[in-house]
Amino acid sequence: MEKMKLKLLYADLKSDIEVIEKELETALNSSSHLLNDASLHLLQAGGKRIRPVFVLLSAKMGRYEIDRVKHIAVPLELIHMASLVHDDVIDDSEMRRGERTVKAQWNNRVAMYTGDFIFARALEHVTVIEHPRVHQILARTMVEIVNGEVIQIEDKFRLDQNIKDYFRRIKRKTALLIESSCELGAIVGEVEPENVRRLKRYGYFVGMSFQIVDDILDFTATDKELGKPAGSDLLQGNITLPALLLKDDPHVRPYIDKAIEGTLTEEERKELLKLVRKSNAILEAAKISDKYLKKALKEVEALPPHPMKKKLRDIALFMGKRKF
Amino acid sequence: MDATTIGQAVGQLKTYILDTIQHNTLLKYTGTPLLNEKQLFFLLLPKLNEEAWTEETTTSAMTVGIVHASLAEHDRIHETDATSKEQQLTVLSGDYYSGRYYQLLAQTGNVELIRKLSEAIVDRCEHEITVYEREGRYFQDWVKALSVIETALIERFFYVYRFDSYLEVMQEALTAARLNRELEALIKGEPSVYVNCMQFSLGEQPVGEALRQEISRRKQIVTAILEASTYNEALKQAIVDIVS
Repeated sequence: MEKMKLKLLYADLKSDIEVIEKELETALNSSSHLLNDASLHLLQAGGKRIRPVFVLLSAKMGRYEIDRVKHIAVPLELIHMASLVHDDVIDDSEMRRGERTVKAQWNNRVAMYTGDFIFARALEHVTVIEHPRVHQILARTMVEIVNGEVIQIEDKFRLDQNIKDYFRRIKRKTALLIESSCELGAIVGEVEPENVRRLKRYGYFVGMSFQIVDDILDFTATDKELGKPAGSDLLQGNITLPALLLKDDPHVRPYIDKAIEGTLTEEERKELLKLVRKSNAILEAAKISDKYLKKALKEVEALPPHPMKKKLRDIALFMGKRKF
Repeated sequence: MDATTIGQAVGQLKTYILDTIQHNTLLKYTGTPLLNEKQLFFLLLPKLNEEAWTEETTTSAMTVGIVHASLAEHDRIHETDATSKEQQLTVLSGDYYSGRYYQLLAQTGNVELIRKLSEAIVDRCEHEITVYEREGRYFQDWVKALSVIETALIERFFYVYRFDSYLEVMQEALTAARLNRELEALIKGEPSVYVNCMQFSLGEQPVGEALRQEISRRKQIVTAILEASTYNEALKQAIVDIVS
């Protein structure tokens, strides 16, 4: 159902998304069979391709040429993919999107080379665009994403953190790349500077909402929907918004403590999920996500009349209300 | 120009790089970034030989060093277990240095070098991963892989700045130096994965002997280049020291 909705949302962009998919495949072509296999393994596992879609939509607000815009859309997806390959090494993850991760299928070193290879391909691709500002924004984004991951490791297993710490983390972890997708798409589409800034803020708010929903789904979706065990974030020591909102609940806290200590049994994991799902924390987290979503929609409203405004609104709403 | 001046120039470049990529958390858990002074020397060779060199060239040379540091961090990741905090942050230190090199070049608007270094990283990854694709390869393929690992990035830097005349001596000397290191590790009874791959390709033939022959051949080439060159004596001696 959700996949169908997404397909409908992307319908107008179908031919351009096909161009992006082909370019992604070409970009990952390597003289090494192993690098080819590892990269394509990741590509074929799919994904929502939200970053390229935000690039396309933002560029459509201005002068749109797919042959130019693809040099932003493809690298952003590649950077996202490269960071996932390395993240799986950091998190020691066996599964992603229902498929074995590169590190699980081969090993950590293969995952490191694959991530570096994809990252380099991303930069090769983006250098077709000579605009220095594009590179400055992208480079800053990449540095900040890593800074966010460093903070995430420092915050791991720390229950004394607050919601501000969480927002600081997800801003860098997710929102920045979506923000940059919108900003860079708009710059390459030569959108008016004032509207570039609006689209940038739109991307940031959507990104924040997207990550909060992702963190909610980690507790509420099934293992099958997630392609990994529900509650994985907490099991890995990542204290996300629902856990933060529940950490002082006397019924839930013992389970959280056990998850952090790594002693939570399978039965207890299921019990924890039940408690979280019926708690207010999920509702409260969803409300916070909605606040960001509203801010995103407000930015769209402020944009000049354009057929793409409806699409920007619809995609934001889908991201903020999705069920997988 | 004497040995002290050369040492100071290399030391200064190293300090610039370390200052540029300093990150307190990463430094605390993963230590000082790995920089190979032999590579730094060759990055500076055109400058030391009084070629036209600006502040922007120094920044570019720094970025090459930063990419080397980035990839060296990722070479420290264990094949099967990277779950310790130190290993997790080692993954991120490599990624952070990568971002920083891109940021520096983006600030100077050097898009051509970004493209060329990216090509070199691709090339390097494609050669590094061959250790997991051993079948059907020859001893010389492994030497080539090590040569690419040591020199591909500097090669692209020379290409962008038209320092092509330094290419051959850099490639031969850095490859010889790397093979020397591999031989020393073998003698100590700690052969690297590359030496194991070389032995796999050679079958019965002893890898130590093959390495010695290869090193000797490359040293002869370096000697011939130096004899024909107009480098001053200190530079010549520095290169001889690198390969011995």
